[in-house]
Amino acid sequence: MNGKKPPIFGDAFNRRFGKAWLAAGFAFLYLPIIALVIYSFNDSPLPTTWGGFTLKWYGKLMHDTEMISGFWLSLKVAFFTACASVVLGMFAAFTLVKYKRFTGRTMFSGMVNAPLVMPEVIVGLSLLLMLVSVQRWLGFPERGAMTIWMGHLLLGLAYATVVIQARLQDLNPQIEEAAMDLGAKPHQVFFLVTMPMIGQALASAWLLTFTLSLDDVVLSAFLSGPGSTTMPLVIFSRARLGLNPSVNAVATVIIVVVCIAVVTASYLIARAERQRAREMAAAQRAS
Amino acid sequence: MSPQAVLTQLRNSKLLSGRSAVIGVPYVWLLVFFLLPFLIVLKISVSEMETVHFKDLLTYKDGLLQLTLKFSNYEFIAEDPLYFKVYLASLKYAAATTLFCLLIGYPFSYFMARAKPSIQPALLMMVMLPFWTSFLLRVYAWKGLLGENGWVANLLEWLHVDHLLLALGVIPALGKFMNSPFSLVLGMTYTYLPFMILPLYANLAKMDLRLLEAAADLGATPWTAFWKVTVPLSKAGIIAGSMLVFIPCVGEFVIPELLGGPETLMIGRVLWDEFFSNNDWPMASSVAVVMILLIIVPLAIFNKYQAEAQEARS
Amino acid sequence: MKVFSSRTLKRCAVGVCAALSFAAHAQEENVLNVYNWSDYIAEDTLKNFEKETGIKVRYDNFDNNEIVHAKLVAGKTGYDIVVPSSYWAKIQADGGLLMKLDKSKIPNLKNLDPDFQAALAKLDPGNQFMVNWLWGYTTVGINVDKVKAALGNMPMPENAWDLVFKPEYVSKLKSCGVSFLDSATEVVPAALHYLGKPAYSKNVSDYAQVPALLKSVRPSVTLFSSSGYINDLANGSICVSLGWSGDINIARQRAIDGKTGQNIQALLPKTGGVVFMDVMVIPADAPHPNNAHKFINYILRPEVHASLTNKVFYANPNKESKKFVKPEVASNPTVFVSEAEMKKMAMPDSINNDIRRQMTRIYTSFKTGL
Repeated sequence: MNGKKPPIFGDAFNRRFGKAWLAAGFAFLYLPIIALVIYSFNDSPLPTTWGGFTLKWYGKLMHDTEMISGFWLSLKVAFFTACASVVLGMFAAFTLVKYKRFTGRTMFSGMVNAPLVMPEVIVGLSLLLMLVSVQRWLGFPERGAMTIWMGHLLLGLAYATVVIQARLQDLNPQIEEAAMDLGAKPHQVFFLVTMPMIGQALASAWLLTFTLSLDDVVLSAFLSGPGSTTMPLVIFSRARLGLNPSVNAVATVIIVVVCIAVVTASYLIARAERQRAREMAAAQRAS
Repeated sequence: MSPQAVLTQLRNSKLLSGRSAVIGVPYVWLLVFFLLPFLIVLKISVSEMETVHFKDLLTYKDGLLQLTLKFSNYEFIAEDPLYFKVYLASLKYAAATTLFCLLIGYPFSYFMARAKPSIQPALLMMVMLPFWTSFLLRVYAWKGLLGENGWVANLLEWLHVDHLLLALGVIPALGKFMNSPFSLVLGMTYTYLPFMILPLYANLAKMDLRLLEAAADLGATPWTAFWKVTVPLSKAGIIAGSMLVFIPCVGEFVIPELLGGPETLMIGRVLWDEFFSNNDWPMASSVAVVMILLIIVPLAIFNKYQAEAQEARS
Repeated sequence: MKVFSSRTLKRCAVGVCAALSFAAHAQEENVLNVYNWSDYIAEDTLKNFEKETGIKVRYDNFDNNEIVHAKLVAGKTGYDIVVPSSYWAKIQADGGLLMKLDKSKIPNLKNLDPDFQAALAKLDPGNQFMVNWLWGYTTVGINVDKVKAALGNMPMPENAWDLVFKPEYVSKLKSCGVSFLDSATEVVPAALHYLGKPAYSKNVSDYAQVPALLKSVRPSVTLFSSSGYINDLANGSICVSLGWSGDINIARQRAIDGKTGQNIQALLPKTGGVVFMDVMVIPADAPHPNNAHKFINYILRPEVHASLTNKVFYANPNKESKKFVKPEVASNPTVFVSEAEMKKMAMPDSINNDIRRQMTRIYTSFKTGL
């Protein structure tokens, strides 16, 4: 590439319209979030009536062991779900894109998408029945974080596969073939050539499945056991009598922590890049 | 072929060790965690239900092994218009949601993929972050925003959008936005938007920009280049995003319960009622099986033809 | 695959029971797993039990009967005490999913009101499986001022059910918001009861008039909700609700605490409400049945049972507990219902699958107009 900007819609239009669209999109995504952050400071126990400013819900939250342990459990399950989904999803996507012929391929492609199609109620219930009968035969797995993870992974695998497959399909196979012709081993081709080209897809798939797991209620409800209540389950069970703003407080804490992390990370990345640019410039001048 | 020759051939095939693991691991996982449970559902759908248990399909009577399958549920689905009507309604809402997600999400992902590379990861995180708060909270927040004197409700009224929505028949009355088809589709669009944006972004981010330059060099206007080059190149992303939005939306249960109106009955709720209100697991399983087959079989066939076509080309 | 054959299940249940009775002789782990509705217990209930017995309680919450039922049907829930509604417990008991109580281990059963036990015995003959946790009834809750304003010069009806089931009234209340519980098994029995039929009638023809009645009030119903309506009542966005007695009293309390200025009241209809009970049961394959019995016995202590009522405004069936109930709760006529009123109430009863299907269908067409 010769460093020329892509000539779409002309540069100025592209930049201005693009920024506006992104801003509008983020406004849509963050509108309810702003509302819920504001109401975390609401002094009234009723979520929709404003009763003055308070921090008491944050104080309550600190002593809410049920919520806090639910949060850590959710985080743990979501992390392992996302990692496993991306690995398995990558395998599955690879299979569907690269291997056009093996026994049971049609069935495989059907099964990969099927968890998307099954209503979550059915996925949860059928997995529960399966796991219980396995437990009767073998004595494990006991219901808990592990079984919730299995359910989430089933769903996560389907999502991750679709995302990664969409990227792999458009890859130019000649690049990989060229690497292979130059004597690279298959795993080298994969890690040095293919992986960097599908990096965005892997990151997207990881984030999607992490989020999916962090927010799931139906599957977790079916697959949880004593002492393994995830945060969404805690929140849903409390909703019967109406939520109080301490739930908003949890959400606010998550948002703030992640925001700080994102800002710090992008600042560090930007600084590293400036540094590199300076060094490159210096090196060029020196030569 | 002699065993020796087979071995040599195996050794020569480029991705042997990788290949069997790559296919095998997800395959086995799906067999255990999808196919096995699905067979259970299939079995329940042809069983007779007692209070909470199911009669054995295989019975041993008078020295004969008998297999009793009950297909009346499937007949009932075909006869009773409720299931069909509700299924159509679910398809309709899912299609509307997919369309809106695409309309908002495509330009969004496009511009995200064209943003400075250093801020792209941050943008990606920012798209997902709202969904790390609890689902219920976001729903309640939307209830507040769309309810009487909510910010969004006031804005829509000020813009007189409610007249349009009422004319379309998606809200019950002027100024009443909650618990209507409108709030349902809005809620689903909001919830599923990242599932459209992320695959599209992953696809658009690595697009070969030289093709666009080539188009421009050949005298294409930006608009033509966009429609003739960018959109076709991102076809895989569009298909993936639409799949991730449309398919789960059809069976969605929680959002219609919380944001939908009384008339927006979707198939997820019907399944729930069959399972629990009616305590009729065979019926519910039958509905689920029909639903899955209606979507999965065409999808698998499509995939098969696509694979064959690609192979023929190369 | 014989996942579900009843024979295997029975064999398993027998095996588990045998294993458990054996284990009980040996030594049971000092753990108890309880699965209950959220916010349905007093702050110190578990703490005191743990302190006294040394048993560690793992307390989980659920938000609907359905998922609990599915888990019990699948089996191996890992829970020792589950608190479903009696309607569901009945199905579970019939299906052999529950363990028979060993009454010798629950001496405090003597504290329970015999009339109440007799009512519960309609679902659970001989009171073998279920012990009442708390009970309440489906009724009408109103925002007193808003309803009066909306009715204008019309007087309040003699029978509170008219507010939700008589078109003359409910059409006027539409402007200030009308909510119905979102459940076939609540709305249809209430409608039957209003029509003067048995609430859980086993006679299919009794259901014939229900669709017309419900259809006549459908245009006025603005919200179907079994959970959010508490806050909606408390902040004044709905003014009349077909809801549960305790929930309406909680809404009243919240309106007072939140100073919203709304005056919420649960009404006791002239013809009585429709009673529901939430019951403690022990799953057939509970890992710690001994501890479960200890827990039931502990809850049945008058002062413990009273503390539950004090917290959640639902009545308990414990006749000895009255003196420990806070006066403002005890004096609320909608919490502890007088004996005369009690006679008018519709009591829970069992229904079969055909009736269930009919109820759901009636309700679905009521809600959606399909």
